[in-house]
Amino acid sequence: MTCEEARESLMLLSYGELTFDQEETLELHLAECPSCAAERLRMERLEEMLALGEAEPPPGLLARCRRDLAVKIEDENRPMRRFSPRRLWRDWFVYTPLWLRPVGAMLMLAIGFVGAQFVPAGSLAGLGGGAAAEPVMSRVRFVSPDESGRVRVVMEETRQREFTGYMNDHRIRQALLAAASDPADPGLRVESMELLKNQGQQDDVKQALLNALRADVNSGVRLKALEGLKPYSREPEVRTVLAQVLLNDDNPGVRTQAIDLLIQSNEPEVAGILQQLLEREDNSYVRTRSQRALAEMKASVGTF
Amino acid sequence: MDEAALIRAAQAGDQDAFERLVRSYDQPVLRLAMNLLRSSEDAYDIYQEAFLRVYRNLDSFRFDCSFHTWLYRIVTNLCLDHLRKKKVRRTEPAVVETEDGPMDRMDSVPEHRADGDPQRRLLSAELRGKIEEVLKAMTARERMVFEMRHYQGMRLRAIGDVLGTTEEAAKNCLFRATQKMRSALGEFLP
Repeated sequence: MTCEEARESLMLLSYGELTFDQEETLELHLAECPSCAAERLRMERLEEMLALGEAEPPPGLLARCRRDLAVKIEDENRPMRRFSPRRLWRDWFVYTPLWLRPVGAMLMLAIGFVGAQFVPAGSLAGLGGGAAAEPVMSRVRFVSPDESGRVRVVMEETRQREFTGYMNDHRIRQALLAAASDPADPGLRVESMELLKNQGQQDDVKQALLNALRADVNSGVRLKALEGLKPYSREPEVRTVLAQVLLNDDNPGVRTQAIDLLIQSNEPEVAGILQQLLEREDNSYVRTRSQRALAEMKASVGTF
Repeated sequence: MDEAALIRAAQAGDQDAFERLVRSYDQPVLRLAMNLLRSSEDAYDIYQEAFLRVYRNLDSFRFDCSFHTWLYRIVTNLCLDHLRKKKVRRTEPAVVETEDGPMDRMDSVPEHRADGDPQRRLLSAELRGKIEEVLKAMTARERMVFEMRHYQGMRLRAIGDVLGTTEEAAKNCLFRATQKMRSALGEFLP
């Protein structure tokens, strides 16, 4: 083996890429060549030095990545996973796709044309007599004959109503609170929670945040609720819910956030909750976070 | 459940299986992105984009290669695009806000053998700066190969597979990168 070949092999040796035979040949050369042996030492030192250049992700970055990915994937799934009449209505009737609009117009014209053939002349005269808001969807819910021979028809009509206002407007807040608990649309709940999370000083909002954190099936909504509860983590009611979430929530991102909020309160009971958590927790990040929190509290990781 | 079963379950729409799949790879992926891009926000973006692409395209994974190779192809392509687009690297503030409060970015780089000796600490900081300088001066591909070998411990064949090239080409690229590093760090070597 020449020195040039040996230098090339030294690099491969440091990468662990030499076969047994190649390594043997190199070792024989190194035993006889002080200059290549010195080069080996330099390569080894270089490997050691390179360890200094490795960047570690900052603490919490992995948890944030996992948490946000879970929310994004849930968003991706939403239209396929759960049928939502509200979304169907919004996507196909309120914001009809542009390509569908001419088709819809033609279809309605055709229906009108054909329908008119079967309706006696003059029978449509009384319809549309000045209702202020046009219904966007209607269906017959109930029919019953009257004693006089007339028929009573009960129609169910859906109308869109729009109103705007600031967050301190009672109507806006009530609408957001209703939307925040709409079981059919997790996206709407996340958006409503985002708007409500800074209004936790209002009792009804705080209660909605607590309810969402405790019971919402969507982890994105629960995380928004946690954000909103940050300033109140010292309150006993909030602490109780945080402890329940920490021990029962199936999302590690939510559990991690719950730890962060609980330890802010500096209450001695928190150590016990974390010790209890460590007995059942199988997520390595949540375990590490709990252990670190216990160490900061100077508490042991186990119960005795 | 072995990996193939996990992938099939995820392909069939099992969300838990997908999450387990992500969790078995996401730490090294984040570290690779962090090492390549030297920015926690960029690493975050790569993580999100890579795993979303995996999620969207998992149906098209046909076990022609290992899942590791498939995933790393996605990650390295994203990182290469990022490195090429960001020739002029934005500088990040030295102190970043984390969930644990403000933290100096340099604290995320391990202090090997620096002990408490201020002189050694200074030397380590100088060395670290030099390594970073050389990494930035490498081409995107050299840097990619170098990072995958040194900080991910990947074999040359696996690196070649991920980058869609031969083992030989990966080796040559790694030689060039190591040679650059060796020349630049010559003053620190015995």
